Amino acid sequence: MSTEHACETCPMHTEMAQLGAAVGGFDRVVALAGNPNTGKSTLFNALTGLRQHTGNWPGKTVTRAEGGFQFGGVRYKLVDLPGTYSLLSASDDEEVARNFLLFGRPDCTVVVVDASALERNLYLVLQVLEITDRVVVAVNLMDEAKRRGIDVDTRSLARDLGVPAVPIVARTSENVMVLLGEVAAVSAGETVTRPLRPKGTPEFERAVSRLVPLIETAAPGVPNARWIAIRLLDGDASVEEALASGRLAELVARQQAPDARFSRKIALQGAQ
Amino acid sequence: MLSFPVSVWLLVLLAVAVAVLAPSYGVVAQLKKYRQARSRERTENALKHLLREATDGRTASFGSLQGALRMSDRGLMALTERLERDGLVRTEGTQFRLTADGERVALHVLRAHRLWELYLADELGVPLDRVHAEADRAEHRLSRDQLDRLSASMGHPAVDPHGDPIPTGDGRVPESPGTPLGDWPMSTPARIVHLEDEPPLAFAQLSAEGLRLGQVIRVIDRSSTRVVLSDGEREFRLAPMLAANVHVAPVEAEVEAARLPEGVMTLTSLPSGTTAEVVALDPSFKGFARRRLLDLGFTPGARIRSDLTTFAGDPRAYRLRGTTIALRREQSDHVLVKAQA
Amino acid sequence: MSASIAVTPADIVREAAALRQSLEAGFREEVVTSLYGEVERITRRAVHDSGSRPLELDQRIDHIVTSRWLGLPLMLVILAVIFWITIVGANVPSQMLAAAFFWFEDLAAGWFTQLGVPWWLTGFLWHGVYRGLAWVISVMLPPMAIFFPLFTILEDLGYLPRVAFNLDYLFKRAGAHGKQALSMAMGFGCNAAGIIATRVIDSPRERLVAILTNNFVPCNGRFPTLIMLATVFVAAAFPPAVASLVAAGSVVGIVLVGVLFTLVVSWALSRTILRGEASAFTLELPPYRRPGFARILYTSLIDRTLFVLWRAILTAAPAGAVIWLLANITPGGVSLATRTADFLDPLGWAIGLDGVILLAYIIAIPANEIVVPTMLMVYMSQGMMTELDSLDGLRVLLVDRHGWTMLTAVNLMLFSLLHNPCATTIITIYKETLSAKWTTIGALMPLVIAFAVTFLTAATARAFFGF
Repeated sequence: MSTEHACETCPMHTEMAQLGAAVGGFDRVVALAGNPNTGKSTLFNALTGLRQHTGNWPGKTVTRAEGGFQFGGVRYKLVDLPGTYSLLSASDDEEVARNFLLFGRPDCTVVVVDASALERNLYLVLQVLEITDRVVVAVNLMDEAKRRGIDVDTRSLARDLGVPAVPIVARTSENVMVLLGEVAAVSAGETVTRPLRPKGTPEFERAVSRLVPLIETAAPGVPNARWIAIRLLDGDASVEEALASGRLAELVARQQAPDARFSRKIALQGAQ
Repeated sequence: MLSFPVSVWLLVLLAVAVAVLAPSYGVVAQLKKYRQARSRERTENALKHLLREATDGRTASFGSLQGALRMSDRGLMALTERLERDGLVRTEGTQFRLTADGERVALHVLRAHRLWELYLADELGVPLDRVHAEADRAEHRLSRDQLDRLSASMGHPAVDPHGDPIPTGDGRVPESPGTPLGDWPMSTPARIVHLEDEPPLAFAQLSAEGLRLGQVIRVIDRSSTRVVLSDGEREFRLAPMLAANVHVAPVEAEVEAARLPEGVMTLTSLPSGTTAEVVALDPSFKGFARRRLLDLGFTPGARIRSDLTTFAGDPRAYRLRGTTIALRREQSDHVLVKAQA
Repeated sequence: MSASIAVTPADIVREAAALRQSLEAGFREEVVTSLYGEVERITRRAVHDSGSRPLELDQRIDHIVTSRWLGLPLMLVILAVIFWITIVGANVPSQMLAAAFFWFEDLAAGWFTQLGVPWWLTGFLWHGVYRGLAWVISVMLPPMAIFFPLFTILEDLGYLPRVAFNLDYLFKRAGAHGKQALSMAMGFGCNAAGIIATRVIDSPRERLVAILTNNFVPCNGRFPTLIMLATVFVAAAFPPAVASLVAAGSVVGIVLVGVLFTLVVSWALSRTILRGEASAFTLELPPYRRPGFARILYTSLIDRTLFVLWRAILTAAPAGAVIWLLANITPGGVSLATRTADFLDPLGWAIGLDGVILLAYIIAIPANEIVVPTMLMVYMSQGMMTELDSLDGLRVLLVDRHGWTMLTAVNLMLFSLLHNPCATTIITIYKETLSAKWTTIGALMPLVIAFAVTFLTAATARAFFGF
């Protein structure tokens, strides 16, 4: 389902193609994360040409949806995650997002933030930066923010966060091509990011550095040993259980497979 | 060919036979299960009693066991014999002591009891005066593995909702916190860290008075017949016997600072349209609900404005960090704020 | 310990527990507070806020839609206006579609006869399957094509969270969660979607309450039935000038009955099999956003309307076949359809309906959309071939030939609102709860309630109003 006309407003639309719900044969995986109601699904639809249901209320997306697009000759799988306020304490739908970010090893994570509520949204961005350094921040709803007299300096944001930050308007696909350019560079490893990771207290850092080597020995190849260490210190039940039962590897594997039941259904039926 | 009534009766008989004898669902199997559960409950209650006596520096006797378990002489004799045979209990003259194995089982039951109480209170919001009885039933059903998960899911809590220490998985009991109220100096602020939940009647009386864990109080009068406490707004009069069931600890400096200044109030009482600064979340407010509020940015220093309310005055919506968040009264009661000019 | 001995996960968990003891108890809160401190610094540097006029407009709107006196009435007015537009707008297209479809039915059946096709094939295809489809399309398409875009506009504006906010107090009193209002709103589209939407509720107990009661929101499969009954029967009793208002009012009324049952049943569940207290409620009220009208039209017409219609057509065709068989297999000279309907008649009478309606409900278990067409096909298969080319013709068929009264219409509306969920919804309940017990309760409880309520209204109507 290649619908090139749908992106006429894009400055370089010849370079980009929506691949709809086509599964398989992807070169890279990109995750869409962010607070509820920041327009993740709108961006997802604009990029893939799918019609994932959008609506202005928190919790509209409760499952993972997957689709594809092609950009600069590279095929990307795009994963739309339920909105989440935090990776620290998660409800059922938020757990879906958290597990994918942690164990799904996306080549790039796009954190979509609402330009007019940056303070609330950046809290999640900092948490995502703890997990991965392949992050691009998409500052969405720039038009709404402008109407409210709010101006976001994305260059200052990018400098402070240490990762690219791109202002976009997902609804009209404004600046989406620039975003894709950053995504391509980050996922290919061409852009070197320096994610901001606030240090904790000395005792805290000492405790983390005691655990990290242990985790890396016990579960080789597990991404984000530091993050797992922090969660263990906080007594996070699901991480503890995943580690203790040896399910960490299984969890990693499961995140690579598509959430077939839901993503198919939701992608094809749109509204349902 | 059987006549109609006979065949019906045969069917009925067959049905009854199945209902009585069926494996695991039948009446017989159910009865057996029930007896096993009863026996486990008795064993564990006996061990729990021995542990409590040992902790309080007493030793258990036949009489004290009888008082705690309310069993007949013969039944209790059979029980103690079995406990000794299983290597859980040692007899020394007329006294009973726990063996190492017995202590392990008793600690498991104690851990189950306290974890379950905490789970009911914090995560399910069951009223405090009901959790003890519920936990008395559940403590015999929980496995070691379930307890580990329960403990992990609540972030390995150290004390139960009454302030009693929860034994760890490897059988250590953390120090009991606090000083008995009787030994606390007059008019020094103190935080209630423990309200004894045995006997239930005494606890019910304490909570009926309005005392709760985490509350900051001062002793303002003490005599042989009564102890008078104050939390700054109300006074509580307790019999000395009852006061002995309350343990207190020094107030942490920062919360004391947050409580004392003028103008600190709950978010619920913040008038609509006014702006305030978040001072703290009430320490007695716990579990997922507390974590969620923190993640939404209800952190000390955050500016908040009371914005919307519904026809019933509850829930209310607040402007915080550029967004509007609706909360029920039960939650906003636990957010302490200081109004701004 | 030599380096070759592996560290087990249990060791790590234990080590973490030991380290945790060494940290201050409140370190979690310090982490959150310091993260937010960092966020505030970054925001201050990146955001330049130069006055905020439109935000104030947002808040002025919010003060009106959530106000003490206007909040709830405004919700009802908005709902009524949507139904009124739907009913008025759907009337003419429905008539035109029906006329066109039935004109073509006669024409095509005529061709078949001329070509010498056997009578039973002509009857099966054109008077059975095709007629069912024609009814589904002409009755369902226009209201759905108007209702869904209107409802989606509300959703995109951001009105739904305000509804949840307004109603939370009632849900709290019922021991449930305010976000249940959101899953109910999704239930207007499809109960299966509504049940998936209950995932936004954190407490498992409250989520189960929301799942079990979602059925009391009439889904799009039942809306056309309700709208048709409200238009053809209830409103017809009033002067034409106010008929459409009465029709809209009665649909709002039936939705309110559904909300009432949701609250009462939630309350009862919270005090019996799902005992518990109401938990915490945190809901973000997002800023209002301008809906994308072109996208709304596209998604609600192409995705929702056509999807639902396609599902109805898929189930209507086999249902048409079943009915044709039931009507034409005639052991002892009486068709199976008549026999079954006669058998169900006493039960139907007791609840103010009749055997044919119950038979239609049984055949329509896979999809609620086809209840009315199924019913009509059974009625028509009973021999009397009515020229059914308009809604008036429908009225004539039901009232004059089959003795429908206002009681039948009202009870059919109630039954349609309350009865058991369709097969898709039942399967979704199972997928979400993974429990045979809750699935059974979810399927049977509404059925029992539906029978009880319609029985009571029928008995009352007969005793006091002489029906």
